[in-house]
Amino acid sequence: MTDWNAMDDEDFRQDVRRFFEQKYPEQLRYPLQRLRWAEIKGWYLTLAEKGWLAPNWPVEYGGMGLSPAKFLIFLEEQERWGVARTPDMGMTMVGPLLIKHGTDEQKAYYLPRILRGEHIWCQGYSEPNAGSDLASLKTSAIIDGDEFVINGQKTWTTLAQDATHIFMLVRTDPQSRKKQEGISFLLVDCASPGITVRPIANIAGHEEFCEVFFDNVRVPKENIVGEINQGWSIAKAMLSFERITLGSPKQSQYALGRLELLAHQRGILEDPVFLDKFTALQLDVADLASAYARFADVVRRGEALGPDVSLLKIWATETYARISNLMVEAAGAAGAMGGKIDFGAAQIDVLGNFYYARPAPIYGGTNEIQRNIIAKNVLGLPS
Amino acid sequence: MNMNTMNESHVDRDDERRLLKDSVRAFVERTGGASRARALRRCSPGFDRSVWREFADLGWLAVTLPEAYGGLNLSLAEMAIIAEGLGGAVAPEPVIEAVSLAAGVLSHAGGPLAEAILPQVIAGTLIPALAWQESTGSYSPDAVATKVQTDSQGGLSLHGVKAFVPYAEASDGFVVSATDACGLVLFWVPASAAGVTLTHHRLATGASVGRVTFDHVPVTEDNRVASADTAARALGLAIEEATVLASAALVGLMSRVLDITVEYLKVRVQFGRPIGSFQALQHRAVDLYIQRELSNAALADAIKELSANGNSSSAHGAVSRAKARCSDAALLICREAVQMHGAIGFTDEYDLGLYLNRALVYSAWLGNSDHHRRRYATYWKDRAQGVAA
Repeated sequence: MTDWNAMDDEDFRQDVRRFFEQKYPEQLRYPLQRLRWAEIKGWYLTLAEKGWLAPNWPVEYGGMGLSPAKFLIFLEEQERWGVARTPDMGMTMVGPLLIKHGTDEQKAYYLPRILRGEHIWCQGYSEPNAGSDLASLKTSAIIDGDEFVINGQKTWTTLAQDATHIFMLVRTDPQSRKKQEGISFLLVDCASPGITVRPIANIAGHEEFCEVFFDNVRVPKENIVGEINQGWSIAKAMLSFERITLGSPKQSQYALGRLELLAHQRGILEDPVFLDKFTALQLDVADLASAYARFADVVRRGEALGPDVSLLKIWATETYARISNLMVEAAGAAGAMGGKIDFGAAQIDVLGNFYYARPAPIYGGTNEIQRNIIAKNVLGLPS
Repeated sequence: MNMNTMNESHVDRDDERRLLKDSVRAFVERTGGASRARALRRCSPGFDRSVWREFADLGWLAVTLPEAYGGLNLSLAEMAIIAEGLGGAVAPEPVIEAVSLAAGVLSHAGGPLAEAILPQVIAGTLIPALAWQESTGSYSPDAVATKVQTDSQGGLSLHGVKAFVPYAEASDGFVVSATDACGLVLFWVPASAAGVTLTHHRLATGASVGRVTFDHVPVTEDNRVASADTAARALGLAIEEATVLASAALVGLMSRVLDITVEYLKVRVQFGRPIGSFQALQHRAVDLYIQRELSNAALADAIKELSANGNSSSAHGAVSRAKARCSDAALLICREAVQMHGAIGFTDEYDLGLYLNRALVYSAWLGNSDHHRRRYATYWKDRAQGVAA
């Protein structure tokens, strides 16, 4: 068994890079939508076979046991090569959750099934009236004998149609003093009677997220993670690392390259109106990369990320959105054409980028919520 | 802390830098911060010569200059700490202008004039200025109409008009760029030389910027600082370094203004609550904070790149990136600070104006954000063509 953490950072980076470059299917690089299970299953199993599916899990549970610093390198290389996200909620959320808060039985049952690609997880957090204000969620789980009985609705559940399981936040104490206090964390088999999944088409026409309805769904009591009514603090503690990964500059760097190619093909690269905007974006991306590197250094030193990391998510997602906006402008008449457009030497999906840039400032905590976090926890502004 | 003892100490570099930062902060607190700039702003020469001597005693005028001239031979990173700290207090002393830019050219050029002048600069007894730009305002070091002419007896004279010379009225001499038959040359001309006349213009800060006329000023070979490639390299490198330090001063300035503004949002009560509790203002404050953080990141890159790669286009690109970001961010933060303060922010009595005016001066100096984005685009295009070829 390789001790990845003992490796030199650069050697590790080269190993990871080589594997992605050799094994990742070329036609799936830099997809502008989340890939469905049927499309990405092969890559999922390739990773599983290599033992690289769960880079951040401890070795004893079948992970690579990477330190945060090495994990960041792994993610950076994944981004660099445009490797698509698999349905990775099992690896990024359920695994770390169970390893920290799960019972021995839960770990023994669920973890190997995630690593084998047998269980595909989705995240049941948002509800129609609980988005940014997630703690207002109403889906209830009432104890009845040895079971919880779930009633309610989750929504914006990414790729629920491909999932075999859903981990969810449910209200177990409707009388709690604070709304955050009556919430628990449950693991649910999607095959349970009473669950209905309805895909929702997005602006781009893709069915990436779903509504999930729960009508008297019965779940064994032992499917709770952690203590009853402690789900909120468990969920909150799992969000910190996400903000640095959502703040990576790689997607913007790649999109900027596509934009440059597009402008070159259309002969407007030297046009002063275009060049002015393009150069400003180049600087925005370069400064993003510098800011990202500073936070990555914090991770590398083994220190905890502070609330200031929210600035990365804001700047990364809004910079990518500005690039995609300029792509539409630069494409001219073709800026209204769907799918890959032939610009001579390059085929570029202009609207694909434009659409793909829309949800990023919304998910993972909207950028408005991120600004609230910085205002309160970094600048110390009053409530 | 007296920096003259720094080289002998055994503390590591990070500790050294922390100590330097503390000592700049202590100086600023002891001398009253922005109130000192307020008191000096309408006087001539616009700064305090006794403070200048104190800087010399502290070793701050010697930081980046080589040991051969009595300097400390420390890096641009140390000088940036001083520039950032003084920028946060809008200190009016021309440290970047006189030491990093003018003396920087002499230092990079080397030779007998550097040996003669730099020890006096370090001692605080001589303040040099660089006279390189002309009335066109071009930032191209070789776009000079000023000429060194040779008369029939072989005597040399310098003839031309230099513009945008900071603190010209306080300067003891000028490093002047010109051309002769062989190309770019740099000459040292004492302010008292026959044929040198000054006119002044007040900057937004109240400091003066000079237009210096050299009317057939007699010079000799002893006045020659450097020629041709040596001159271009020395001038170019000093300008890049001063541009980074102006960016550092802007970072110090914008950080202070952001602090003042966030503090004001916490204490100003309207509608029965602090205005900083309003989300509209919170989000604007956060956007300013993000710009400050990006400025910090870009500045750190520029220091690193320029220290490592000197006169390369990758270093120039990093310098332009920093100056573009810091100029825009400083102006944005100052303008927003005025708005978020309301009417008090527009009064002369409140300190914000001092910062806004300094932001205007340092944003425009050595190229504003438009100029540096344009320059960045040029390097990028060169690189892109290089790759394509």
